[in-house]
Amino acid sequence: MVFAARVFFFFLFAAFLFGCRSGSERGGKPGLAVQDSVSLSDIEVAKLDAQRLSRLMRERNGKILFLNIWATWCAPCAEEFPDLTKLYRAFGGRPVDVVGISADFDDEVESKIIPFLKKQGVPFRVYVASFRRQQDFINAIDRSWSGALPASLIINPQGKRSFFLVGKGTFEQFKKEIEKTMGGL
Amino acid sequence: MLNSFSRMMVVSVLLVLLLLGAGARKKVSDFTLDDYNGKKHSLADYKSSKAIVLMFIATQCPVSNAYNTRMVELQKDYASKGVAFIGINSNKQESAEEEKNHAKEHEFVFPILKDWNNVIADKLQASVTPEIFVLNSGFEVLYHGRIDDSQRENKVASKDLRAALDRILSGKSVEVEETKAFGCTIKRVQ
Repeated sequence: MVFAARVFFFFLFAAFLFGCRSGSERGGKPGLAVQDSVSLSDIEVAKLDAQRLSRLMRERNGKILFLNIWATWCAPCAEEFPDLTKLYRAFGGRPVDVVGISADFDDEVESKIIPFLKKQGVPFRVYVASFRRQQDFINAIDRSWSGALPASLIINPQGKRSFFLVGKGTFEQFKKEIEKTMGGL
Repeated sequence: MLNSFSRMMVVSVLLVLLLLGAGARKKVSDFTLDDYNGKKHSLADYKSSKAIVLMFIATQCPVSNAYNTRMVELQKDYASKGVAFIGINSNKQESAEEEKNHAKEHEFVFPILKDWNNVIADKLQASVTPEIFVLNSGFEVLYHGRIDDSQRENKVASKDLRAALDRILSGKSVEVEETKAFGCTIKRVQ
């Protein structure tokens, strides 16, 4: 009886531990990401409206933000994903948030975005842009941006942009730019 | 006193320059490109049109392809009113043969020009497909941006290109001259 109770509590504790990790990894607040621990079936893609985007970009809590904007229909975006995953792993444990924002429609999370992320094995947090007008999202990212995908930007812990690239980048290029931003702190 | 007078003069000159600059429209110089049959087309060939619509399009881009029917309808509705439609393909990986098949499949009746080495895309600073430039007969850009505000036709709230053409045809200035939308990056030569 005592043994059975111990086993029950062991599993309860284990379930609690794993439950906590998956929450902070993907759908949690910015800055709480924990590396490599969640099975892909746990993928959450939260909607990002103007207010949440502004908070994500401004409230950095001492961390650098690497932001990648992509879409499931964008071929160079898919080609870029292995480098983004490598980037996320390279900066694991350091004050850098790697975050993706999908420019697909916000009602395509289940049908397109999650299957795409599963296929790519994406370990970092991904949101879907949820703005009334597409142009508002484009301008909120950068007023000079045409909307061409993919696009990547780096924001320093003070909430200032230090890098912006339209088109496909590489791991080496992004790593160098993050390190440059780190060096400038 | 002299200093403040000089300062005032500098500010006035800057203001005048700013106002003159604000009124100046971007102008496109004439160019010649081959269509997918090898026939040459110059911008000057369309000079007598009431407006020239340059459409940067692609064969493989899902966003551009979402607008195939709308492009055909636009051409149908406005060609008889004196508007010329010209498709331009600047993607390095899309061949003239592919363009030809794509045009046939989607019943495009407007010419599609192959912009090898993305020379015209660079000249106009076009970056995505689809991307529209509407010119007057003096090749000044009257409208630049999207066809409308949604890839999903049933969600369109703002038919920006139609609105621009309607204003031009009625002799009025275009109300919204610049718009933006997501699109596929034009695949340029390195």
